[in-house]
Amino acid sequence: MTKYIWFKLFAILFIVGVLIAICVVEDRVVVSSLNEVKNYCYEIEETAKKNGIVDGEVASLVDNLEYSWIVNEGKMCFMVNHKSIEQLGIEIVRLKTYIDEEEPIEFFVSLEIIKHYVETFQHFMGASFHNIL
Amino acid sequence: MLTIVARAIIIYLVVLFLYRLMGKRQLGQMQPFELVLTLIIADLATIPMAEVSVPVLHGIVPLLTLVILHFVLTFLSKISNKFASFLSGKPVIVINPDGIDYKALKNLNLSVDDVFEAIRGCGYFKIEQIQYAIMETNGKMSVLPKSQYAPVTVEDMHIETEKSAIPINIINEGKIVKENLPIADIDESDVKNILEQAKIRKVKDVLILTVDKNGSVYIQKFNEKYQTMQLKPLGQVQE
Repeated sequence: MTKYIWFKLFAILFIVGVLIAICVVEDRVVVSSLNEVKNYCYEIEETAKKNGIVDGEVASLVDNLEYSWIVNEGKMCFMVNHKSIEQLGIEIVRLKTYIDEEEPIEFFVSLEIIKHYVETFQHFMGASFHNIL
Repeated sequence: MLTIVARAIIIYLVVLFLYRLMGKRQLGQMQPFELVLTLIIADLATIPMAEVSVPVLHGIVPLLTLVILHFVLTFLSKISNKFASFLSGKPVIVINPDGIDYKALKNLNLSVDDVFEAIRGCGYFKIEQIQYAIMETNGKMSVLPKSQYAPVTVEDMHIETEKSAIPINIINEGKIVKENLPIADIDESDVKNILEQAKIRKVKDVLILTVDKNGSVYIQKFNEKYQTMQLKPLGQVQE
């Protein structure tokens, strides 16, 4: 085999490897990021129901959620359309405002919206027959 | 804007690399599946370039997938003739010694005007000059003229000719192409001799200098008419 054929073969294997790596990394990053957000949401909901939303622990959990989302959003932006995930960030910011304004109904609505986005997105990103077609 | 510039560079390099990997076919020589691939690649490449919210990977991943698919199809075409004809079709004879094969034309969705246009492109203006015309899988027409209309060749004339030789670039736009010297079997002193013979003082004055294996030299200065000469024996210049 000539040098060029070896190069071609290597390039093809490299491309296949890159594609597999991208798919695996995407799945890992997206699933773990969204699960982290979901877990924070459940924790915030539980604490807020127990102590009310004007509570230091709730505020601290929301801050943690915001920080973790900033970190995870940065990773997800390599693989996901920015517009598809920007609403999640907006809702997290709203949570903080509702704590400051002491609006529990809006706070819980926002929390539900975040959970809904996360679940929808997990469904949307998964490899399924519906998504392929 | 800097993001768009960077994305454009990345995607350009990726597409360039992929096209180099796929080979050097030109648009007119492409098989149907290659043409489809080219059209899709062109479209895919522009999406992440113009839309900043779309990750570059959204453009690159489908591009890489299509290239892999292209290699798989090419490989299958090579190992199976049936698959190759399914993918690219088969050459079809549209003109035979009896004239135009109308049934073949209908199958190819061609009109008689299309056939005339294609044979004119091959240098023939009358159907009766043609023995066979074949529509190739890449959409080009190949024409075999009747023997009385075929161009006369040197062999027909029984003339003895020198063997054809490829001219090798020795000087290109004022610079010696050093890697070509051993291919032409000459060295820099031979080049100097040629330049002296052509009354040219400096290499940088030469637009092009070619030498072929038969020793034929073509030399042209910038903005001047060309000269030709013969190297014989090799290394000594003789007009």
